This record gives sequence, structure tokens and C-alpha cells, in this order.
Amino acid sequence: MNLLTKFAALAVVAGGASLGGQAQAATICFAFQDLETEFWVAGHKAITTTLTEAGHQVIERNANEDANRQLEQVRDCVAQGVDGIIIIPQDGDSATTIVREAQDADVPIAVFNRPPTDLSRGIVVVADNATIAEAATDFVVEQALENATEDRQLNALIIVGDLGDPNAVGRRDGFRAAIAKHEDRFNVIEVASNWDAGTALANLEAAVTANPQIDLMFTSSDFLFPTIRSVLEPRGMWKTAGEEGHIPLAGLDGDATACQLIKDGYVSATGVQDLYFEAESALTAILAAIEAGDTAPNEVIEDPGFALTQDNLAEREMDMWGCVLLADGFLNR
Amino acid sequence: MIPAATAPPSASPPPFTPRRGLGARAGDLILSDYFVLYLSIAYVAALAPFLPTLTAPGNIVNVMSNMWPLLVVAIGQTFVLAIAGIDLSQGSVVALTSVVGAMLITTAADPAVLAKAPIWGLVLTEGGGPFAGLMGGVGLAVMAMLLVAALVGLLNGTTVAVLNMPPFMVTLVGLITISAFAIWLTQSENIARLPESFIKLGKGDIVSVHIGAKDSPQIPRREVYSFVTYAMVIAVGVAVAAHVLLNRTIFGRWVLAIGMNRRTAEISGVPVRRVIIAVYVISAMCAAVGAILYSARLEAGRPTLGGGTFLLDVIGAAVIGGTSLFGGKAKIIWTFFGVLFFVLLSNTLNLMNLSSFQVDMVKGAVILGAALLDVLRTRLMQERRR
Repeated sequence: MNLLTKFAALAVVAGGASLGGQAQAATICFAFQDLETEFWVAGHKAITTTLTEAGHQVIERNANEDANRQLEQVRDCVAQGVDGIIIIPQDGDSATTIVREAQDADVPIAVFNRPPTDLSRGIVVVADNATIAEAATDFVVEQALENATEDRQLNALIIVGDLGDPNAVGRRDGFRAAIAKHEDRFNVIEVASNWDAGTALANLEAAVTANPQIDLMFTSSDFLFPTIRSVLEPRGMWKTAGEEGHIPLAGLDGDATACQLIKDGYVSATGVQDLYFEAESALTAILAAIEAGDTAPNEVIEDPGFALTQDNLAEREMDMWGCVLLADGFLNR
Repeated sequence: MIPAATAPPSASPPPFTPRRGLGARAGDLILSDYFVLYLSIAYVAALAPFLPTLTAPGNIVNVMSNMWPLLVVAIGQTFVLAIAGIDLSQGSVVALTSVVGAMLITTAADPAVLAKAPIWGLVLTEGGGPFAGLMGGVGLAVMAMLLVAALVGLLNGTTVAVLNMPPFMVTLVGLITISAFAIWLTQSENIARLPESFIKLGKGDIVSVHIGAKDSPQIPRREVYSFVTYAMVIAVGVAVAAHVLLNRTIFGRWVLAIGMNRRTAEISGVPVRRVIIAVYVISAMCAAVGAILYSARLEAGRPTLGGGTFLLDVIGAAVIGGTSLFGGKAKIIWTFFGVLFFVLLSNTLNLMNLSSFQVDMVKGAVILGAALLDVLRTRLMQERRR
């Protein structure tokens, strides 16, 4: 059993040991929008591994980023008579529609990590994006202010996600809250990504060309760090902490790439979503609802998260799922 | 066609008629209007023992529900294929009209999400769109969607018919620019909070049924099945109108004549340019009706609707039905059966728990098979005409 499996087994199965014990074997439909980032890949693995190891049957549905297809897939799952549904939706609006569809068909549903715009229905497991983003941004704001003379106006750049996704809105709000503490010192440059690396690349290149002096940068998702690197490196702006021209960088997710970049000194901080806590919470809640015969459980479970920074790296490294993956050789595979 | 044997008027014993070979009968089957229907029935019969859910009422309802929006869009594509054209812009028209309709009737909009959109303040405010809460607002929005689609179709058709540009290029450009325009309008955001009367068009029931004994005073909701829906009525209505237009009117004959040979049609007095323009307008308007059904079932105007493999589904369904990619051969009933088979295919592949990538690969292979079948049918018909 490799380290990842051990971790998943300990953090999820052990945490929810009762999952397999108390409930009868259930059939769970796991409908996800795609697995384009490390976060989703790790989340997918944690959920499917835990469920199958606990003796439940998992029916997987990949919508390939198509909201209509996901709706049809969930309807197919309902027709197949599944006991419960776990969904990673395409966006908050489609999540609201799909949660309502499932509950109208008397099937309990849990939404993993990407919340519906209407939080009143379904089991919703979501990170406190605003707080986590604010903590990560606070760290790079302090670094940027330390590096600058007092009279200079600084440029803070944020790469925002798809604002139809409440996670993206929360992360932007957290970034804004951190910047607002020093409002008179920063100009904010917003770069749209729509959670797409190609879009982010084009828009970031334009933004950096228009504003060659960037004093700090926050990406709403760690999966965009390679994109950021491909923009900054040719311009001589991809530097480690302590080097001349280093830009304090922060992100959010807590993936293996971010962990490696923090260790290497390129990235200063990242907001960490506790992926295994979120997976365990979703599974515990959906299986409890199935066991209780509750077809329309409504509950919001918040993952408080934290920020992993250059300062607390030594103590909290292994609290971040991406560092666990990294230690398991994830980036070398 | 082989003439049917007729009985002689005398009472003498019937003359000897040679038994038709298996090959000839197979040819009859392949050339039959109902070939894809037979194929669908055989497909279900073959898989039902292994996939018991396939024939479950809930699954049949899903298959039907998934059929209607695709059918409407595929009908529009059928007209274009019939003139030996292609309309790649249908997906982008679905996206654009979805956004246009939603921005007019949404009952509220979140400035945190949409304030950066160029329509913010002009059309959309926190209080929603200009037709929100207006008597007949949904009807006006639907008309606006159809009007926008008609304009796109007019532009496509005029460019193809008057400038003689290849339809592939014209509609490919349409696909790219109109999609980008739809995304720009909302800055890639969805417009939700649509009125119930609009949502009903995509997912509202007219007749629901419960199959089986009523064991409890309250029938569980998952055992109540949609039987007749608004989407079904709209799609069947469009299909019947299109059938009459394509197969029962002089306009339909012109369409097929252009598809068979544009030059010959021109010499024969067919108003080729006008017909081509009308066909592209029909195609775009069908896409707009599809947008109504898709937006209503997803409860939001979405600038990314009609993306991904949507066109594969639309063109694939029409071709599987028997509409020829070479033009001149098209029937709405074929498209109906093609959509049925295509949706069944997707449904069964899902029930087999294949991944979306495997599903798309199988779909692609089936479409290729249908295109090959089209070649076979054309040859068979030519041989029988000799």
C-alpha cells in the first residue's frame, strides 16, 4: 500500500470507519465534471477508494465539462436506482438544478467542494474560500510591503476563476479583503481565467505586458502555477525568494506542484483545502442519509482550511494533501 | 424499386414468381424508411437482458427527455444537409440565443458575477432583465431568441448563396465568432433565476403517470414518470411542421433538388439562392428552439451551451437517420429515428458505465458507420434504378 493510499485510508476510511460498518452496501453515483486538476484527481481517488473499500458500489460518470451531459448522467443514475449521489458540478448554477432534480426524485445528494448557488438544498461540502484566500494573500502582502519603499504604489495581480463558481467568488473576496487592509498602497489587476489554462495564459501575458511591474500575484487555483511560470520565466520574472526581482506568489488548493514550488522558494504561500476532510465529510453525510432514509438531507459542511506559508512549512507541510502526494512521488510519475 | 407482384385477373393458377434472395431482402431493409427504427428495436432487444434498467420506465423517460432538444436542432441540420450544405454554427446559435433569452427574462442578477459583463446596466440589472415580471415577457424573449437566430441564419445563408462561399467555412467562422460573442456578452457567466413559466418549457410535465399498484397513500416521487412534457409537444410540433415542409411542399422539393444538383435545379427554375437562404434561417431557428429547451432544463442561460461534442451529436443523429451528407436525400422521420438511436446509444453506453471518452469514441465510430451506410445505400439505389 503506497503512502497516498495509506493516507487516504487513514484519513478517510479510518475517520469514517463506521461508514462501512453501519450502512449496508449502497450504490453511489459519483458524477464529476472532469478531472483536470490535481485537486479533482486526488478528490476522485479518495472518494472512490474509500467507498469501494467499504464495500459500496460506485457508478462513475464524467461529464467532460458539459453541464447538460452531467444533468443527463445524474438522471440516468436516478433511473438506475442508486441510493445516493455525490457530485462535483460544472458550476454553481447547474449544481442547483441537479440537486433539485435528485431531491425531487427522492435521492439524497452531496455536492463536493464546488457549491451550488443555492446552499439551502443538498449536502454541501465547501471550503471557506474567502478566509483561506485572505490568509494566503496576507502573507504575500506583507512580503510585498517589506520589499517596497513606503511611497511606492504597488501592483497586486489576481487571476480569478470562473465567477459562475462560488469558489472563485469567495477566493476573489478573500484576496480583496487582504488587499483592503492596505488599500492606499495597492492597485489591483484582475486577470480572468475561467478555470482554463489557455485563457489564463493569454490574459496573463497581456496583463504582464501592460504592467511590467508586478509586486505580488495571487492565483485562485494552484493548477495555474505552471501557466504563471510560462509567462514569467521568459521575462526574467520567475525568481526564488531572496533573488532580485522575486514576485511574492500565492495560490489556493494546496496541490503537489504548489508544495514543490513553496519548497523551492518560488511560491510564498498557498491556501489549503483539506481535501481528505471534505471527502470524508461528504461520504459520512451521504451514507448517514441513506441509512436514515432521508432522501433530502440539507446541510452545509465547511472546511476551515489554512494557509501553508514559507514560515510554517516545517510544521504544517504534511497537513497539506499536495505535500502528501509530493512525498509519495506524485510529480515524478 | 422492384415492382410488387400483382395477381392476374383470371382464375388460373398464379404464375411462378422467383423467391427473392436474402441479399435483395437485406437491400430492402437498408433502403427502408424505418431501417434505423428496426435497428433501434433490435439494439434494445439485444441489450435489455444484460441491462435491465434499459427498459425501466424511469430510463425510458430519460431517453425521451434527452431526445427532444437534440431532435429540434437535428431537424434544422437535416434541411442544411439536404441541400448538400452543413451548418457548424448551430452550437454557437444555441449559446447566443440562450444568453439573449435569459438576459431578457431573468428575475434577478448578481452584480458580483455579472457586473463586468457589457450587458450590465444596459439590459441586465440587479432587478433582472427588461421583460422580468412582464405579462407575456417569456413569449417576447422567445421571439427575440428566434429573431436573433433568424438574423444569424440570414447572414450564413446570404454568404453561402450570394457569395458562393463554402458552407463549411462560412459556418465555421460563425461557430467561432458567435460563440465568442456569446461569451463576451456575459463574460462567460451563466444567467440564472429564470421564470418558472420558461423553465416549464424544458422540464414541465403535461401528463405524468405512475405504473403499478398504489401501495401507499403517497406515491414516491421517483415512481411518477413524465409522460407528455412541454418539450415533447414543442419538439414533435416542430418535427411535424418540418416534415410537412420538407416532404409535402414544393419548397421541400426545391430543397432536395438543390441537394441533388444545384445547377440542374437552377436551370429548372428553382429559386436556388432564396431557398438556400431560407434553409439556413430554418437551421438557425431550430437551434434557437433547441436553446429554449436546453436553457429551460438547465434553468440558466449559458454562453457555453452547444459547445464540446454537441455538433457531433447533431450531425451524427441526422446522418445515422439516413440523411445523406451528399445532399438530395432527407426525411424528418429519418432524423427522428436517428436521434432516437443516438440517444439510446448514449444512454446504453452510460448504463454500461463507460467513461465519457469511451462514449465519444463509440459515438464517432457509429457515425462513421452511418456515413459508410449512406454510401452503401446510394450505390444500392443506383443499382436498382438500372
